[in-house]
Amino acid sequence: MDLLAVQGITKRYSSFTLQDISFSLPQGKIMGFIGKNGAGKTTTLKSILNMVKLDAGTTQMFGLNYYENEQRCKQEIGVVLGEIDFYKQKKLFSITDVTKRFYRAWDDTAYCKYMDAFALDPQKRVKELSSGMKVKYMLALALSHHAKLFILDEPTSGLDPVSRNDLLGLFRQLVKSGERSILFSTHITTDLEKCADLVTYIKDGKLLKSAETTEFIESFSFLKTLGETAPLSIDEIMVRTEKVIYDV
Amino acid sequence: MMFNLLNKEIRLAAHPNLFVFALMGILVIVPAYPYGMVFIFACLGPYITFMYGRETNDIYYSALLPISKRDIVKSKFLLVCLSQMVSLLISLPFTFLRIIILPSGNPAGIEANAAFYGFGFLTFALFNLLFMTEFFKTAYKAGRAFLAAIIPAALVVIAMETMVHFPMFEWMDSTKASDFARQLPFLIIGIILYALGTWTAYKISAKRFEKVDL
Repeated sequence: MDLLAVQGITKRYSSFTLQDISFSLPQGKIMGFIGKNGAGKTTTLKSILNMVKLDAGTTQMFGLNYYENEQRCKQEIGVVLGEIDFYKQKKLFSITDVTKRFYRAWDDTAYCKYMDAFALDPQKRVKELSSGMKVKYMLALALSHHAKLFILDEPTSGLDPVSRNDLLGLFRQLVKSGERSILFSTHITTDLEKCADLVTYIKDGKLLKSAETTEFIESFSFLKTLGETAPLSIDEIMVRTEKVIYDV
Repeated sequence: MMFNLLNKEIRLAAHPNLFVFALMGILVIVPAYPYGMVFIFACLGPYITFMYGRETNDIYYSALLPISKRDIVKSKFLLVCLSQMVSLLISLPFTFLRIIILPSGNPAGIEANAAFYGFGFLTFALFNLLFMTEFFKTAYKAGRAFLAAIIPAALVVIAMETMVHFPMFEWMDSTKASDFARQLPFLIIGIILYALGTWTAYKISAKRFEKVDL
């Protein structure tokens, strides 16, 4: 079963168009969503979440039309917008206390468990958390209302290699039961080799490929140079696809 | 749901100054003061809170909660209306108190009477209609929205404070029971305009915010 199915998402801005993006994410899988800066990753995620008004396209979430069942679907998702800090001066317990009232399936025991597991102190203010801890706090909130689908925008950007590795390990743990799925955007492609089951790649607002990681890598074999036999890394695929020669 | 929305606004979104400015209703006990400033302060509070919301990414956080975009607008209206009502309610006991301890009246401008409150509701109606609808065009440009709203709102206050210095409007500057009956329609019309204006502002704001790309 697909927890998320995106079909033909199109959003036109004056200087950029996100065009006909389609992909699906099965239950129990992690999908890496890649593209260089400005390719349209954040716009795609915001479009899925109805934060930007679409020109065309649909999103099915848990088998429901998301735009017609937004509040119901949001009960079962967790979202992290990596670059955006919320309520920096507020203590975590205040944010939690406000947030939990909106979720029917809120579980205080689970919340305490995840706060402990992630070594998060509820008395701390958001501004006192590192980037990795902020992501973990948002994940703890999502896990406490038993979210099944996690949509994470650049959750690993700005993290040191140790924290990044720690977070990627956590992602694998989250999907281990086969119930949850994660869609996360990144431009750090080494993250994907460590944890993604599927990769979706967009370039200049257009979908280049969405497939299982091995199939994805194979589909870019045409980028290999003469004599290259080893599979390309996702990093090499991106670099070769995006290569620009400046006429200066 | 309404409680949850308001709870979120008060605990996370509201800037402390919103409450400080709401407390300015107390100013009606000052012996000589243009009491219309109470309304201006009550308009400043939401502006500062909306600016603060931009700093804390409040709208983004709200957009992630299991609520609709319309609910986000509703929560802001609940907060603004609450602060305006608190500002008026806080002033109320002091209007009675001043009749007892300051019977000579307010030489600086209008008395804190029924007409004054009528003008208050009218000022707030105008402010909500202009500020909220302009803000929700972008959910970002609070400064522009405030300028568009505070100038007409201030003109209403200035008109109120000026009128009472003309002999023909002396009855509006009175706290006598005999003049209360003449002032009462002002209050009633003010309340009706406030309800209608704020409801219209909510409808327009919700419609505009639906089109905003966050």
